Amino acid sequence: MLENVSIGRYYSARSILHETDPRVKALLYIVYLVAIFMIKTTPAVLALIATILIQILMARITPRIIWETVKPILPIAIFILILNILTIRQGSILWEWKIIRITDYGISRAVLMTLRLVFLIISTSILLTLTTTPLKICDALESLFAPLAVIKVPVHEMAMMMSIALRFIPTLIEETDKIMKAQVSRGADYDTGSFINRIKGYVTVLIPLFVSSFKRAEDLAVAMDARCYNGGKGRTKLHPLKLTLRDVLVGIMLALLAALNVAVDIALR
Amino acid sequence: MPEDKNAIRIDDVSFAYKAGDGTGEATTALDGVSVRIPKGSYTAILGANGSGKSTLAKLIDVLEVPDKGMITVFGADTREDERFWEIRKRCACVFQNPDNQIVGTLVEEDTAFGPENMGIPNPELGERVERALKEVGLYDLRNRESSSLSGGQKQKLAIAGALAMEPEVLILDEATAMLDPLSRDEFLNLVEDMRVKKGLTLITITHDMSEAIRCENIVIIDNGKVVMEGGPSKIFSSGKLGKLGLKQPENYALCYQIAQITGCEILPSDLESEESLIKAVIRMIPRMVSSYIPDDQKIKKEEPSDVIMKISDLSMSYDRGQTKAISDVNLEIRRGEVLGICGRSGCGKTTLITHMNAIFVPQSGDIEIMSRHGVLHASDKKDKKQIRQTVGLVFQYPEYQLFEETVFMDISYGLKKAGVPESEIKPRVIEAARLTGLSEDVLNKSPFELSGGQKRRVALAGVLVMRPEILVLDEPASGLDPRGRDEMFKIIADLKNAGTTVIIVSHNMDEAARNCDRICAIKDGRILLTETPEVFFRTDACEKAHLPRPVLSVFAARLRDAIAEEIKGVDFGEISFESSAEAMNIVRSVRKAVKGRA
Repeated sequence: MLENVSIGRYYSARSILHETDPRVKALLYIVYLVAIFMIKTTPAVLALIATILIQILMARITPRIIWETVKPILPIAIFILILNILTIRQGSILWEWKIIRITDYGISRAVLMTLRLVFLIISTSILLTLTTTPLKICDALESLFAPLAVIKVPVHEMAMMMSIALRFIPTLIEETDKIMKAQVSRGADYDTGSFINRIKGYVTVLIPLFVSSFKRAEDLAVAMDARCYNGGKGRTKLHPLKLTLRDVLVGIMLALLAALNVAVDIALR
Repeated sequence: MPEDKNAIRIDDVSFAYKAGDGTGEATTALDGVSVRIPKGSYTAILGANGSGKSTLAKLIDVLEVPDKGMITVFGADTREDERFWEIRKRCACVFQNPDNQIVGTLVEEDTAFGPENMGIPNPELGERVERALKEVGLYDLRNRESSSLSGGQKQKLAIAGALAMEPEVLILDEATAMLDPLSRDEFLNLVEDMRVKKGLTLITITHDMSEAIRCENIVIIDNGKVVMEGGPSKIFSSGKLGKLGLKQPENYALCYQIAQITGCEILPSDLESEESLIKAVIRMIPRMVSSYIPDDQKIKKEEPSDVIMKISDLSMSYDRGQTKAISDVNLEIRRGEVLGICGRSGCGKTTLITHMNAIFVPQSGDIEIMSRHGVLHASDKKDKKQIRQTVGLVFQYPEYQLFEETVFMDISYGLKKAGVPESEIKPRVIEAARLTGLSEDVLNKSPFELSGGQKRRVALAGVLVMRPEILVLDEPASGLDPRGRDEMFKIIADLKNAGTTVIIVSHNMDEAARNCDRICAIKDGRILLTETPEVFFRTDACEKAHLPRPVLSVFAARLRDAIAEEIKGVDFGEISFESSAEAMNIVRSVRKAVKGRA
């Protein structure tokens, strides 16, 4: 019932992006976030698409995986597209009927907004989740935010919490699927009836899911204790983060590409 | 001071779990337990569900500290704050649920978690991880996602994580409970191998007799107290096991039954091996001749010919046809029978039964159900609702699907959804509770305050309340102790007698042989054979499907061969899958053969 949910999943492969230092990827991610939200002109959008294609190639991710990543957000994307088309009233009118007015500006804005959302999801996936294991993402954040530990921010603990949350996503999805099937076989119905009824139906999934998650959390805490977990103090790393020349080069190259996109955009405005 | 030969000394330890609600109520888990565990030994801590055996594991690894008494691990007192890291480093645990002990996303990352915490520097850290993964045979999968592993592989990963800490004591806390028989054997062989290679002290906490029998020493815990201690031969010759919610292993049970019928005695030395057990039975032959057993009242099982569910050419794939979870399944289920569906984990059993009540709609092929309401088709959307009411499906560990405030409300959920009138609900809930052996005072309790076994009954009642004509159960007894398992099969037998058709998914072949009218073996999504147990176990379907043969019938066959060498021309007839019936078979046949000759 819940197959093909791939947000937050890691895609195991050997590629340049997989091997790049996660800190570089995290910083690049911020750079691309800024770029995605700065560009407005068509050539810049096309340039960004090209840049993203380069990233996909560097990450050796198949188009199917990209499609599966984007698919779950398509309904939201389409919603944003329609909402923007209908609500933006500036620009020259292409078609008008009663209160509905569709303008050329509205369409271009709507397409831009929708593309931004899609770019956002793809960038998050390629730069972070698909090519970097949750533990590495957390290592990167821990390392990037390490200075904050001085002012008593529990950086290690937060990173560990995040990595465990990410590690358990597939497990919980599997569990939700199991519970839903079990409730359906008892007569629950999740896809018909009024909206309120459907929401009510989810109670039969959420409560068991919560109960079992607490149980899991308890078990996991015991298991971590048994494996001598004692916070970040004195911990070593199997693969300590090491910044290599290649990481720096990859970082600079991708950052330059982003800058180029923005430059094109500004030049054409 | 001479060096202590004990790895662990437990002296008069008591422990209670304090209630989390601030009432100060405490549940006693252990009460004055004293145990010695010698270095390098292999000990089973045996007990029924809720006996306190898992608490003992937690106390040894300082995951809890005793309220009273003292535990020392390699001479270090677990109550001393400055020693407990040292103890945890020397003891490693593998727990029951594979999913709940994996921290790392990748196999390699998870293996490294323990030694990382211990501050092992590189390159030693990398070497330890590599060594541990090679030892458990997961090295080739080191970059795989840990969540994509099978249950058996996940438990091996947990051992790798433990081995990478290079412990001296390895504690298995019901670590095989969620594995199929073959994975369980692999797992146990692996840890036993490691024990010999590394001189580990191995402690296994279990209620599984076939696991306990592999140990050198067994400690039985009941109600928080040590009630018995000794080698397997001493423990399994005791008549008290049944009262403790435990059971003799099948081969022992058979010999004991024969001894009881003939009035002979089994000496502790007879229990050392299967050979000595067989010798002991041979010794009883003269007494068998003088023991009269009435002829077996062979109730010729009337072959039900009436088909209630017909599965034809059913195939299903999770990834658009690339690999088939089940393919071309053809199966007829007869009205009123108990059908066992057996196969290894991942063979497609669960996929198959999920089709039976139309949760999965057939991608190709069909299922016809000859219900009271006429013929229903799984491929027909209109019949879906009717099918779900005709076929009750209980998944594995159904206790995890409870959600209502009270047991009554939980059981009645399906009725309300089906729009059954209010006046009819109460009697039907009470009927379902009675069928599953729940007392009426439980009905007003919250399902979450019940024990695991009770919760499972509630979940089962929640399905039975719909009065299904066909009941499908996925591993109904998994995780239960021997007494709980027997009770579950008693419920199933009662349902069958009341006319319900029952389909059980199982990989415990002894239970399948005893409780099913027919057994269906599945391998890689295909049906190998569907036959009565008698015929089924005469074929090589078990070997083909990677299932173990029933322990009892394997041993009984050896025993029969040994007896046949002594008494030529003895005719034993069909092997029975129940130890007491088989004991009678053997005694009766021997008497007949000898008398007939005379």
